[in-house]
Amino acid sequence: MTHTLTATGNAYVSEELLTGCQAVAQGVRLADVDVIAAYPIRPYTEVMDLISKIIADGRLTAEYIIADSEHGQFEIVKHASSVGARAFAGSSGTGWLYGFEALAVTATDRLPVLFLVGNRALDDPGAFGVEHNDALAVRDLGWLLCWVTTPQEALEHVLIGYRVAEDRRVQMPMALAMDGAFLTHSQHIVRIPSVEAARKFLPPYDLGDRRLHPDNPISIAPQVNEDWVMEIRRQNWEAARRAPQVIAEAYREFDAIFGTDYASSPFFTEFMTEDAEVVLVGLGTVAAPARTAVRRLREKGERVGYVGLRWFRPFPTVPLRECLRRFQAVGVIDRDFAHGSPDDGGILLHEIRSCLYPAAERPAVVNFIIGLGGRDISIADCQRMFDLTRQAVGAAGGDGLVRWIGVRE
Amino acid sequence: MIRRIEINYRGVFQKTLARQVASDLVRIAARTGKVGFSNGRYSDAPERNGVPCKYFVFISPDLSEEELEAECGAKLDIDEADISIVLDDTMVKGVEPWAWSGIRPINEKVIEGGFLLVVSNKEVGELMKFIPKKEYPYHLAILPGESSLSGLWVFHDDLTHERVLGAMAGLDPELVSIDAVESYLRERTKDERRVAAAVEGYEWVHHRYKVVSPEEGIDWPHAVPVLPAWTEFREGVAVPAIQRGFRLGPRGQSRSTIFRRGTTKTMRPVIRFDLCRKCTLCWLECPDECFDPTPDGRYDVDYQYCVGCGKCAEVCPVNECIVMVDELRFDDDSSPWEFWNRDPQGYVDWAEEKKGAMRQKPLVVTGAGPVVTAPGQRVPARGVHDMTDQEVSR
Repeated sequence: MTHTLTATGNAYVSEELLTGCQAVAQGVRLADVDVIAAYPIRPYTEVMDLISKIIADGRLTAEYIIADSEHGQFEIVKHASSVGARAFAGSSGTGWLYGFEALAVTATDRLPVLFLVGNRALDDPGAFGVEHNDALAVRDLGWLLCWVTTPQEALEHVLIGYRVAEDRRVQMPMALAMDGAFLTHSQHIVRIPSVEAARKFLPPYDLGDRRLHPDNPISIAPQVNEDWVMEIRRQNWEAARRAPQVIAEAYREFDAIFGTDYASSPFFTEFMTEDAEVVLVGLGTVAAPARTAVRRLREKGERVGYVGLRWFRPFPTVPLRECLRRFQAVGVIDRDFAHGSPDDGGILLHEIRSCLYPAAERPAVVNFIIGLGGRDISIADCQRMFDLTRQAVGAAGGDGLVRWIGVRE
Repeated sequence: MIRRIEINYRGVFQKTLARQVASDLVRIAARTGKVGFSNGRYSDAPERNGVPCKYFVFISPDLSEEELEAECGAKLDIDEADISIVLDDTMVKGVEPWAWSGIRPINEKVIEGGFLLVVSNKEVGELMKFIPKKEYPYHLAILPGESSLSGLWVFHDDLTHERVLGAMAGLDPELVSIDAVESYLRERTKDERRVAAAVEGYEWVHHRYKVVSPEEGIDWPHAVPVLPAWTEFREGVAVPAIQRGFRLGPRGQSRSTIFRRGTTKTMRPVIRFDLCRKCTLCWLECPDECFDPTPDGRYDVDYQYCVGCGKCAEVCPVNECIVMVDELRFDDDSSPWEFWNRDPQGYVDWAEEKKGAMRQKPLVVTGAGPVVTAPGQRVPARGVHDMTDQEVSR
């Protein structure tokens, strides 16, 4: 591997074989997190296993609190964050939803806690596999919401996530989402940054005049009447509006220290889209079969590409619109569902169609519901989705069609 | 044409009464071919004991229900009232229902030529000592009676409800005629005492209200807070807390300046500092931390923050040391301890005069004395036997 040299020495110091969860735990160590609250639920749990070991090994000094439930877990880190502790928690599936009240107030209180969401289907039926509805449930509450696709990205986005979330212009909680099993439990060789490089990139957590402390007497979240709520929501919206600029800045600095290449396309990645006519858009690990399908179809001369959305909140409205409008057809892959929604489509479909609506000339947009509950998405599935997407070009009634892929008929 | 009526009441204590008056005005309007509806000011919830609250009634002879709703229903407080009913006369000192509201005049919403109807045993002059000037003439009507206080789920059925309905007919026969009130009550209750109470209310106020000219009233001492724009306050729902601070003496403890809550009280504690045994109980037990330790080991009270709950009088072990007295007998919120320090005998005379003839018998025990709930009936204090003064002094 290549070490990137910086003024402080090697930005990466070693390589380790890590799962997605373990990579996040290493990120927590490098971020020098102060308070961790744990409560087990598959598939996110492994992050807590490794963090406890890291603390026991003396590699991180932090309060590690085992909560009574996800609600308690999320409340603990919310309060820790308000007194100036960098805090970490996480969950999956219905556990994430069990703490939903705490998730809502953490956002309105603008406390920059970082959470790992190991995406899991919402019970019932009890299922451990990936579905994105859990993390997506916070999409309207004032959260930063980001999907990573490899353990390397996962580790690095712990540092990047804290940096963005804690920026004085933002101060929003951050959900770092990763596909259950396919990433949480998937081991890859990961380059481990040095502590010095991590410190250089991520400044100490500073809440400023919002830090709850006897020397700074404030009251957080008092009861207010209707004469305040709109102004508070307006402030939170403004923070979300400032976030893209902060994300772009953070990536530029991360690239400079670690030699990565995030900043050239901060919010989504484009794969072989330069001359593409048809693209698929998706979240998370579906990128691997989709990009492989792109390569194989390209070999046959098909002009196809893949757009992997990284940041779902704030939604990269303008850049994504400018990106997608130039294609003839867009196939949106939803590893989630939105029962009873327009066209009975998925959540990503609605976001992308809404994003494209103001464009003077829009591509046909079709939707695929696939991989629910952790069902695998194959290269062949992706090739089929490209075919179906291409069929929508110029076809009457083709635009807006929602199909379920891989369901037993 | 729309008639807007607001009913100012003491939260919890008069909620059922206010709602009954509002409901019946709507029902009577409907029986006489008008359209009406009623709502409570939602921001008043949760009503804490005694917090000034409002019900509204809107009645029109010519608008559709939807138009009336559109004109009046979507507002949390009204801009103007044809009639403001005041069910407890101590609210004439002003009302502060929630933080950042400020202390608002009781006649703030009354329109030119409109009515302020106060249930009170006081004279006009005693009320006008507290009510601010308006730029135009309006009317003040007094319906004689005690403040009818009870609880949230209980209703003190002392006919105040019927007398207020009758008084409304006396002030605005176009809104509701006394005949309509009578027939409604007769039909609904089949109880002639209730009909008679309404007629009594009607006859008392009918043509016996006073025109209040623009010169009459006080200059209002309380400013209305200006709420900041969204760019002008701290993010993250973080507000400055009360700065820590303590020094011995009156108002020596730091307290909130945006919500004092003093307009919540109907009675205030009068303290005989000369009887005080420095036991600390009033200071410890006050739920609103209104007592300030003084250099002589006693406790002053900041009436701006006192909600009149009576806890101090209840726990004070010394007979007659702390006694709850009708709030309207006091002109200001100045420090009683400073008065006592300046002029001990003058203060004791003043305190006894305040407690004197108008002294109400609260349902809480004062000192170790018995609670008097009805003539001749005694209830032991705090569930134990009545203590004599000798027992108390041991």
